[in-house]
Amino acid sequence: MRETWVVGAASNRYGKMAESGREAATRVALEAIDVSGIDPKRIGYTFVSNAFGVAERQAHLGPLINTALGIPEVPSATIESACSSSSAGLHEAFVHIAGGFLDAALVVGVEKLSHLDTLQATSYFAMGADAAFETRNGATFPGLYATLAHAHRQKYGTTSEELGAIAVKNHANAAKNPHAHFQKPISLDTYLHSPIIASPLRLYDCCPFSDGAAALVVAAKDVMRSPSAEPLVVRASARSGSVAGMQDRPDLTGLPATRTAASAAFRQAGVGPEKIDFLEVHDCFTVAEVMALEDLGFYPKGAAAAAGRNGETALDGTLPVNSSGGLKAKGHPVSATGAGQVVEIFEQFNHRAGARQVPKTEWALAHNVGATGGSCSVHIFSHR
Amino acid sequence: MSETSLPLHSIAAYRRGYEEEHRLLGFRSACGFVTATWSLACPRCGARDLTEAELASTGRLVAFSVQTVPSDEFLNDAPYAYVLVDLDGGGRVTGWIPGIGAESELSVGGRVRFSPSYKPGVQFARISDGGSTP
Repeated sequence: MRETWVVGAASNRYGKMAESGREAATRVALEAIDVSGIDPKRIGYTFVSNAFGVAERQAHLGPLINTALGIPEVPSATIESACSSSSAGLHEAFVHIAGGFLDAALVVGVEKLSHLDTLQATSYFAMGADAAFETRNGATFPGLYATLAHAHRQKYGTTSEELGAIAVKNHANAAKNPHAHFQKPISLDTYLHSPIIASPLRLYDCCPFSDGAAALVVAAKDVMRSPSAEPLVVRASARSGSVAGMQDRPDLTGLPATRTAASAAFRQAGVGPEKIDFLEVHDCFTVAEVMALEDLGFYPKGAAAAAGRNGETALDGTLPVNSSGGLKAKGHPVSATGAGQVVEIFEQFNHRAGARQVPKTEWALAHNVGATGGSCSVHIFSHR
Repeated sequence: MSETSLPLHSIAAYRRGYEEEHRLLGFRSACGFVTATWSLACPRCGARDLTEAELASTGRLVAFSVQTVPSDEFLNDAPYAYVLVDLDGGGRVTGWIPGIGAESELSVGGRVRFSPSYKPGVQFARISDGGSTP
């Protein structure tokens, strides 16, 4: 298996894009190519993610992006895995390059939903759930995670103040990230007085509907002998699935796909959680960060919420989590999110994260979930 | 739970069951797993010899969430509770209870009854509300 690197990474500012998804995706792809220093002609495939492209009445985005990049002959495919779409794209790039089928690939994720109203956007997000057995029975996306939050609180006593501490931490990190959707810190008091969206989750427990685009250039080590920036060595690229509907899972306090993907990733990398210096996890809702840290093996079940409240996961804590601001505050442009997490790790590895720079960047992990855990990606990176 | 020979191998059959025939339908696998989610093989053991079954209409709440920002299909029904229910005799189903505005109105373990109406989805009522099957 060939050693595989992420050699270029770029994203735009998440939030509300004036331009189309097509334009934004092409722009960040070009920036990632320039960061990497790769000759675009060496790119052998473009993996595009744009789960809700239909909202812009545009499908088959790959050839449009490649044409606008001046590489129209490069093949492309759209990779859809709900909120984990572009991390699934990264996995595809890794498998092809590590396996010797490609030398280099482009991974692009983009989403634009800001032209829809809240009701329409809520309905689009719910499309990641089971339309017949969840959405038909009144589930919204916040409602599904709220049900998990309810179960977690019931079993472990997770409090609103603990969930609020995660929101406060991630907003503080986002305020130091010029690419984040939210640029203002919030107080615990603001959190506690925000309206209930789906009990027990409040407005500030929920990620925003964000537009955004992110791109990665992935290449074999032997192709990129002298990369322009410090590359991320892909030590593990693992994907897992689980029973799609939470009604058919025995445990409602975590996501089984996270546990199986993490187990496979740590096995691939040959390290355990104690080796990881910082990580980006899928915090579409505050409770999702709690469950992720427990399911990934960083904390025992029931212990992650208190760790967050105690500051262990802050930028200056023992395990910085979501230095970017996470989905919660950096934003969640569905198909860009997974690649965007890797952009943050790339910035941290290259010491370009400014005020949110974490102190130690030898090993990092990215965790990206599709919907309520029907899909999950875990990637582990290190320096050369 | 009684066994039937209903042609459940379509999602439409499930929906007809709860919305028109006012019955909750599902299947039981050789491994003992019972579900009301459409499938052609057991999600636990992979077995394909599934026994179609009519599930009980009463059960207990496992987890729930009060929805104040609904999807468009439930626009005129908020607030309401989205619920997971363990049915008596086996099977866990999703559903909703109209008219619930606060978590304090429900409790884990609380008894509920399948209570279909003209509205979509699997609708439950608290048994203390006098929820009844037609």
